[in-house]
Amino acid sequence: MPDALTVAARANHLLVVALLVAGLAFAAIGAALNDTFYLRLATEALIFGGLALSVDILLGYTGLLSLGQALYFGLGAYLSALVLMAVPSFWLALAAGLGAGLVLGLIGGIIAIRVRGVYFALITFGLAQVVAKVVYNTRSLGASDGLLGVPIINIDLGLASVSSASPAGFFLVVLAVIIGLYAVSAYILDTPFGRLLIALRANDRRVPFLGYRTASLRLSSFVFAAVIATVSGTLYPMLRGFVSPELLFFSTSGNAVITVLLGGVGTLMGALYGSVLLTVLRSVIGTWTEHHLMIIGLLFMGAVIFLPNGLMGLVRPAVERLLMRKARP
Amino acid sequence: MAEVLDYIQFVLAPQVVTGLAFGVAVILVAIGLTIIFGLLDVINMSHGEFYAFGAFSALALGWLGIPFWLLLVLVPLAMLPVGYAVERILIQRVFNRPDRHVTTLLLTFGLGLVLEDAFRLGFGPNPYRPETPIPGAVVLFGIFLPNYRLFLIVVGALVIAAVALVVYRTRLGAMVRAAAFDRNMAASLGVPVAWVYAGAFAFGISLAGFAGVLLAPIYSVFPTMGRDFILMAFTVVIVGGMGSIAGAVVAGLFLTQVQAIASLYISPVWTDPIVFGIMVVMLMVRPQGLFGRLGYA
Repeated sequence: MPDALTVAARANHLLVVALLVAGLAFAAIGAALNDTFYLRLATEALIFGGLALSVDILLGYTGLLSLGQALYFGLGAYLSALVLMAVPSFWLALAAGLGAGLVLGLIGGIIAIRVRGVYFALITFGLAQVVAKVVYNTRSLGASDGLLGVPIINIDLGLASVSSASPAGFFLVVLAVIIGLYAVSAYILDTPFGRLLIALRANDRRVPFLGYRTASLRLSSFVFAAVIATVSGTLYPMLRGFVSPELLFFSTSGNAVITVLLGGVGTLMGALYGSVLLTVLRSVIGTWTEHHLMIIGLLFMGAVIFLPNGLMGLVRPAVERLLMRKARP
Repeated sequence: MAEVLDYIQFVLAPQVVTGLAFGVAVILVAIGLTIIFGLLDVINMSHGEFYAFGAFSALALGWLGIPFWLLLVLVPLAMLPVGYAVERILIQRVFNRPDRHVTTLLLTFGLGLVLEDAFRLGFGPNPYRPETPIPGAVVLFGIFLPNYRLFLIVVGALVIAAVALVVYRTRLGAMVRAAAFDRNMAASLGVPVAWVYAGAFAFGISLAGFAGVLLAPIYSVFPTMGRDFILMAFTVVIVGGMGSIAGAVVAGLFLTQVQAIASLYISPVWTDPIVFGIMVVMLMVRPQGLFGRLGYA
């Protein structure tokens, strides 16, 4: 009989495969029906799932609540828009996002990780506000209008090339990138480094006694999360053709936190499922009332009180039980 | 020389008075926030929505023909049971979890979303502007001063002074400070801690509502009014020291004056980044703020 850790890992793999299969099926059906709207919506859900993933790395592993993760997502989107306007290359935009995530994550991290707990939440919030207001007021970045007219690009995938205007094609590209980000995150967090982050969350005073520097660990996790957020952000202008300062605002950061809470904190997979769930809820509720914020707020409060482990807290144990039953002959 | 005097009389002084009126209202909101943090260790993200709650209640009751003077007393009183219920029914449910900071912050964030949408449902997205209860203006030392702003400054300052007096000079205040310093010890000495917590939360909410009533005629009433305002209040609380009443007053006056005077020299849209920049620098250098926490100082 397999041990609990193996079962948990298998349950995770199963959930990833389920998302991937659902995504492929969705793309196939969407392409067959010549749909644009739902495929674009699903693409957006995945992109914001990437932002939620970065919030979960900080909140679920290192135990740091970031209220300003939209800063990195938005900067990634702006940078990508600028790059695409100059050179229409998917890979260059992605690389620029990666580089910017490293550099800006380091700068923001050095500022933010000096403080812990609730002060960290507030400092990330303040940082994002400062940058958002600066972008909002900078005319060369389009000020309150944002950057419009990001060109449609052809994504060179070696064997084939996909246009960002093709709903199903671009959906698959985004699915691949986001699942890739998830895989990299899950792998890194499964190394001894990831265990140390969990140790930081559990008790950050004991970690130095084990011979580790808490500051550099915390900084690495901050930079790591920043990179995930900027790379997710670079995909946004390819989908929408524009970027606006709202991407940097608190509502974007807040939404990512809601997503993580609904999906399940500290599960990584929950961030992606949470984003899909939230998008579905929004469009379903949106068809019969424009006051979806109230229902989402109530759901969110309910999740905080009654379901601290979110959707994954419900689903994963069920999957694990299923696996255990199968393992028993 | 005459030019300098003219500048002070016609440009600088009115701006200082406008900043002062805003500052007093910000301090009222920030004191509620800081008491709730100092005592309960809870960052109330829905505080701005309770400020809007006060403004909307005043608006609705004003339509029923209740005079402004009565509203100024009635709305804060009516918000006491609301705050009490929120603390007992919502906050206490997650209060004893190990990550209290994060869960209570998230819970009140959700509450803020719900309230904001409720205002939109009830009143629509457009701003209302109630009539100024005291029209006209006086000229003091050649400085043009709108009556209502003067009234706001005086009443606000009196309320702030009364709060400080209650917290630092009465038996009730001593119980509050004792509960903030050491909850268990205070409880074992007979302080009804659960009641003090809920009461302090209700009182903080009610102060925010009071500020909402006062500011409604100046800044108009709309569903997201709390959002912009609360950012300033948060900055004030952080710079002054989370949980410090004196800090909230000093930082509130300082930051609103920075904002008011800076907007004379640079475009007003750039004052926000300056104020938030001060907040970030403060959090980096001295996260505990300028002054000590409630119960400690």
